Amino acid sequence: MSSQIKVALLFIATLIGVVLFGYTLGVFQPFLNQNELVVAYNFAGGLEVGSKVRVMGIPVGSVKKIEFAPGHKLPSGEEVQLLVHVSIQKDAWKTLRQDSGFFINLAGVIGEKYLEISPGSESAEPLTPGQVLRGEDPPRIDQLISQSYGLAGKALEFFNKNEGSVIETIETMNKLAVNLNVLMKQMNKTSKNQDLQGLLHDMRTLSSNLAYFSDKMRSPEGEKTLKLVNTLIHRLEGLDSKAIHKFLQEEGIKAKLF
Amino acid sequence: MNLPKHLARVFLSLFQKLHLGEFFRQLEFIGWRSLPTVLFCVSFAAMVTILESAFHMKMLIQNDALVPGFAALLILRELGAVIACLLLASRVGAGYAAEIASMRVTEQLDALKLLGIDRYWYLVAPRTWACALGGALLSVLACLVCLYAAFIISQVQLGQSSASFLAGMHAFVHFQDIFLAAIKGFCFGATIPVIASYYGFFGADGAEGVGQATTKSVVASSVTIIIIDFVLTWIFSHFY
Repeated sequence: MSSQIKVALLFIATLIGVVLFGYTLGVFQPFLNQNELVVAYNFAGGLEVGSKVRVMGIPVGSVKKIEFAPGHKLPSGEEVQLLVHVSIQKDAWKTLRQDSGFFINLAGVIGEKYLEISPGSESAEPLTPGQVLRGEDPPRIDQLISQSYGLAGKALEFFNKNEGSVIETIETMNKLAVNLNVLMKQMNKTSKNQDLQGLLHDMRTLSSNLAYFSDKMRSPEGEKTLKLVNTLIHRLEGLDSKAIHKFLQEEGIKAKLF
Repeated sequence: MNLPKHLARVFLSLFQKLHLGEFFRQLEFIGWRSLPTVLFCVSFAAMVTILESAFHMKMLIQNDALVPGFAALLILRELGAVIACLLLASRVGAGYAAEIASMRVTEQLDALKLLGIDRYWYLVAPRTWACALGGALLSVLACLVCLYAAFIISQVQLGQSSASFLAGMHAFVHFQDIFLAAIKGFCFGATIPVIASYYGFFGADGAEGVGQATTKSVVASSVTIIIIDFVLTWIFSHFY
C-alpha cells in the first residue's frame, strides 16, 4: 500500500470520527424527523443553545437558536424580548396543542436547564411548525432576593416606627395568653366536679330523649297525628263562649261560663 | 545565535512549492506508523483519568456522576492533543534530529548544497507540514479513542450506563472542542521538526553530537509543547 493511500485512509478515519462525534453530540441529526417551534420569553433563566427539550419528561429535541428580539409583538399584543427556536421530534409533536405550556426547568446534579413542554388538552387545536408561542418565564431569583430585601426593610421600618405599639400589642397578647391559660385550668378543674358531671349526664339524657321524641314526631305516624291535631284545632277555632252558651241553653242547661 | 535565522528560513521554506513525495512519505511515517503507539498510550491515559477522577470525586462529594463529563472535557481540551504530540516529539522528533545530525556529520548536507538543493525546502518544509497535519489528525483520533476508552472504563469500573456517560458529555463538551484539539495538535506538530532540524543542523560534530542533538531535540520539543499548550489554552479560553 502506497504512502498516499495510507494518508488518505488516515484522513477518512479522522473525518468519520469527527462526524460520529458530531452525531453523538447531536450536531448532525440526519435521520431525525423534527419540526421547529418558536417559544417567546422575556427571561430565559439560563437556557442555552443545545439545551434539551422534553415533553412529559422525555427528551425529544433541543434548543437550536436563541434570538434577541426586542419589542417583538405576539399575536396577543404582548411584547417579548427573546425568541427561542426549538426542534421537536414528530412523534412528540403529535401530543402538543395550542394550550401546551412551555416551562424552563432544572435537571441533573449540576442543574442544567431544559425546556419542558406539557401536552395540551385533546380538544385544543394542534400546533403548526414554525408557530410562535408564549412560554412561562421562570422565576427570577435575583428579583425574588431583591424583593425579599425590600420587604424585610419595610418590615424593619414598620417596627422601628411603631416600636411602642408593637411592644404593647405583644404584652397584651402575652396577658391574653396567660388569662386563657388560667381559664383553661379552671375549666379543667370544673369538668372534674361531680355535680357538674351529673348535670351534664342529665342534659345528655334529656337531649337523647328529645332526639328520640323528635325522631318519632318526624315519622309518618307522627306527621299524621300532627295533621289531625291541626285539623281539630282548626275546627275548635269557632267554638267560643257564645256558641257554648247557646248550645247549653238549647239543651236546657243553665251554667255560668267564663 | 542561529535560532532566529533558522526560524526565518523555516518560515520562508514553508511557503515554497512543497516536495509532495517527501511530504506524503513523512505524513505516512508520522500519522500512519505512529497511530498504534499513540492510540494505545492515550487510551490508558484516559482510563487513568477516569479512575483518578472517580476516586477523588467519591472522596470529596461521595458521587462520581460528573466524572464522565469532566473527563471528556479534559480529554478533548488537554489530554488527547498533548499526549499524542508529546509521543510524537519522542518518536518523530528524536528521529528527525538524529537523521539530520547524521546527514551533517556524514556531509550529506554539504552534498545537497553542492547540488543546489535548499536543505530547508528539501528536509524541513515537508517534515514540518507533515508533522503539523499529522499532529492534527492524530490529536483528533487520539481524542476520539480516549473518549471511547473513557466510555468503556466508566461502564466497567464505575458502573455508569452509556446514557449517563453521554448525558455527562453533552453537559460539558461542545463540538468545537474537537476542532480546538486539532488546532493544538497542528501547532504542537509544527514545532517538532523545527526544533529537531535546529538541533540537527547546528549540533556538535561526531557521534556524540548526534546523540546530544537527539536528546536536546526531545527535551526542547516537549517543553515547547507544554508552553504552547498554555498559550493556546489561554487563547481558547476566550472562545469557550
